[in-house]
Amino acid sequence: MSAETTSVLSEELLDDFFAEADEHLLGIRQALVQLEASVGKAQADPKIVEDLFRDLHSFKGISAIVGLAPSEAVAHATEDFLRLMRSGKAQLNAKGLEVLRASSRKLEQIVAAFRLRKPLPGYESLLADLRAQCDSISTSSLGLEPAGPQTDAFQTTLLTNVEDARARGLLLWKYTFSPSHELNAQGVNFNVIREQLLTIGEILKSTPLVRGKGEIAFEFLVAAKETPTDIVTWEARGVTVQLAEEPELKPGSSIEALAFDEEAHSPFLAPSHVVRIDLKRLDDLMRIAGEMVIHRSRLDAQIARLDPRSGRVDLRAVQEVNGGLARSLRELREAITRIRLVPVAEIFARMPFVVRDLARETLKKVRLKLEGQDTAIDKYLIERLKDPLLHLVRNAFSHGVETPEERAAASKPEEATIELNASTVGDSVMILVRDDGKGINPNAIFQQAKKLGLEIPAVVDSASILKILCSSGFSTRDDADRAAGRGVGMAVVYATVRELGGTLTMESEEGRNTQFKLHLPLTLAIAEMLIVKSAGQTCAVPQSCVREILHTTDAQIQMVNGIEAVPYRSGVLPIVRLADLFRLRSIARPKMCLLAITSERGSVGLLAEEILGQKEVVVRALRDPLIQVPGITGATELGDGKPVLILDGAALTAGIVRPVELFDESGRASPLAMQN
Amino acid sequence: MSANLESYVLFELAGSVYGLPSRGVQHIEMFEHVTLVPNANPSIDGVVFSRGQVIPALNLRVRFGFPREKNTLRTRIIFVTIHDRTVGLIVDTAREFRNLSRDAIRPIDETLTGINGKYLKAVTKVSERLVLILDLEAILNVDEVQSPHSSQAIPAQNATV
Repeated sequence: MSAETTSVLSEELLDDFFAEADEHLLGIRQALVQLEASVGKAQADPKIVEDLFRDLHSFKGISAIVGLAPSEAVAHATEDFLRLMRSGKAQLNAKGLEVLRASSRKLEQIVAAFRLRKPLPGYESLLADLRAQCDSISTSSLGLEPAGPQTDAFQTTLLTNVEDARARGLLLWKYTFSPSHELNAQGVNFNVIREQLLTIGEILKSTPLVRGKGEIAFEFLVAAKETPTDIVTWEARGVTVQLAEEPELKPGSSIEALAFDEEAHSPFLAPSHVVRIDLKRLDDLMRIAGEMVIHRSRLDAQIARLDPRSGRVDLRAVQEVNGGLARSLRELREAITRIRLVPVAEIFARMPFVVRDLARETLKKVRLKLEGQDTAIDKYLIERLKDPLLHLVRNAFSHGVETPEERAAASKPEEATIELNASTVGDSVMILVRDDGKGINPNAIFQQAKKLGLEIPAVVDSASILKILCSSGFSTRDDADRAAGRGVGMAVVYATVRELGGTLTMESEEGRNTQFKLHLPLTLAIAEMLIVKSAGQTCAVPQSCVREILHTTDAQIQMVNGIEAVPYRSGVLPIVRLADLFRLRSIARPKMCLLAITSERGSVGLLAEEILGQKEVVVRALRDPLIQVPGITGATELGDGKPVLILDGAALTAGIVRPVELFDESGRASPLAMQN
Repeated sequence: MSANLESYVLFELAGSVYGLPSRGVQHIEMFEHVTLVPNANPSIDGVVFSRGQVIPALNLRVRFGFPREKNTLRTRIIFVTIHDRTVGLIVDTAREFRNLSRDAIRPIDETLTGINGKYLKAVTKVSERLVLILDLEAILNVDEVQSPHSSQAIPAQNATV
């Protein structure tokens, strides 16, 4: 690592690196302490190995970003060793642990030297130790193929292939084939399985595995676009299927996107064109683009006011530039939106396992059909839809699908079908969850609702049945089984879909099928809001325009030039009462909340009775011209089906939000302005 | 349905029966909650969610110049769609769907064009009761809704002190 290279890196980036590196090094140290207990055991505690692996992997990644090749190389070689341990091919002995500790120490030394801009310590002998560990394992346990030590070149190719497959939106699957005499008698052998796998995707790697008692298995790493729906068929052929790496489940986690910095390449890292971006950063980007749109519209207004005859400006040229700016801005917003789109396969991929596990516990036979897996939807939607869809599939299995005997009696094929189908319709996405089970019996639902004391709708149609199904506390089961029956699921499904600005509908033919249809917007505008309340009216104020939250009492409010105001910093802050905006009488409170809202037009204090909290909400546009009013930028929902208006900070500061016009005793509207 | 019949939704408003062609009606709901909207026209009681969209709820009594009345259990919102717009109309109560004969629907009589005449399209009779057929397009005409009040622009308040 030369001084010239580091000097081009921004200090900020380096600070981030050191902070993150310390975190991972700490994690590595802790994992190694825990790993001591695994020395000499047949297999090291997989959870600890996994933690260690993850820390090393992240550490390797950030080392590559700052171009710290030595620490990257050490982390990489250590990972190789761990990989063998993780796959159960290696036991952890005292020597192995010693080498791992040496790696950890070396990484710390490298980072410390890098931080102090001192010459970096050598690490070649450690690399040799690590390789020796890998080699001893590879040669001692694998007698099948001249697999030998996996060279760096081989690893690099594999990594390239993996990254490449990911970049193409393929999912990685681990197919493990355990041959047996019985299977061989049926004509199922290594070559047959290999051929079959080639029809569904690309085999990136095949590794022989040795299990206890001399049993052999083969592990294939397959990159495929589609989620296998026939894992039961595979299992019959002695093949187990696993998702090679579970996509991250945390909301707000990173997504794959964009190009990688050329600088970050090193002989130890395969060239990659993928970088992980925190969703939050994309949201920031979108917010900035949104602000630019607002600034541009102000520019528009200013240009409109220019006098073409004044001769001091070439109005045509200015308009042209402005038009170009508008186009670029639109493209920018679209590009950001596209980055957020990921294939729905990310959710679908879990379903075959869910269905298989459920089928194992019961006698039901189910075939899963997945359609439209490459339908791309917003990452935020993916995260939010994971649980609702899982619930719908479980419901379909538990409540819809019958036992093979019941199905035979109803002259249906023994094997039931659960179908998941995603498609885009215009600017919305539709996801269907359909089963060909016993359908829904409206009478049974109504009776159960009565028994539970729920409100009974007057009409019997699918909408009212759905309403009952989605009421919290409704369950058709008296005892909760594993798959469904806790009576909270459908209510959560319904609330989530609604919160995302979508709709949920249901259709069912008794004895034949049930179908849930989710309609959702393809992309979402999400923003951080402060939720405030006054006189029973709840409103949302964009967090971005709130500078400060203060408390105030009535005594502090003074009249200044006929306007209510409170002392604020060195001057006064004019106030607007939230209740007044809606022409409602505010409830007297000893202490009121005051939101200091600032925009380039000035500052204003919004007086509210309570602040209910801060929330990330889905912003919905007010499309109809009847409700496109100044001061309101959109609406959202907090889970109860009631629209909550989003106030426009800039309009508040400019004083253009006036109260709702109330009607007097005669019923005639009497317009009233806000001032005084 | 015979070619000569057309389905209408019949509803009540201030003692009269009105009709809207069913094909423009999306669904009808009980009046539960509307969120007030500052700055909106007086006839807009607020907004409601319907099928994931934020929909204006227009008080037909106010629109037609009748006195406002408190919402009751019978109050309904009729969601109508026209030219890709969906608007909820708040009415006293919705009565029924009825197939009306096209032959029996007559153009509006001049003498009937009173306070809400411009929103009426035709008239017919259902079991001896007069049913006024509405002109949705005229009711939802934005300029028309905005004009009576919004012409008085509120001067921007200068907030600097």
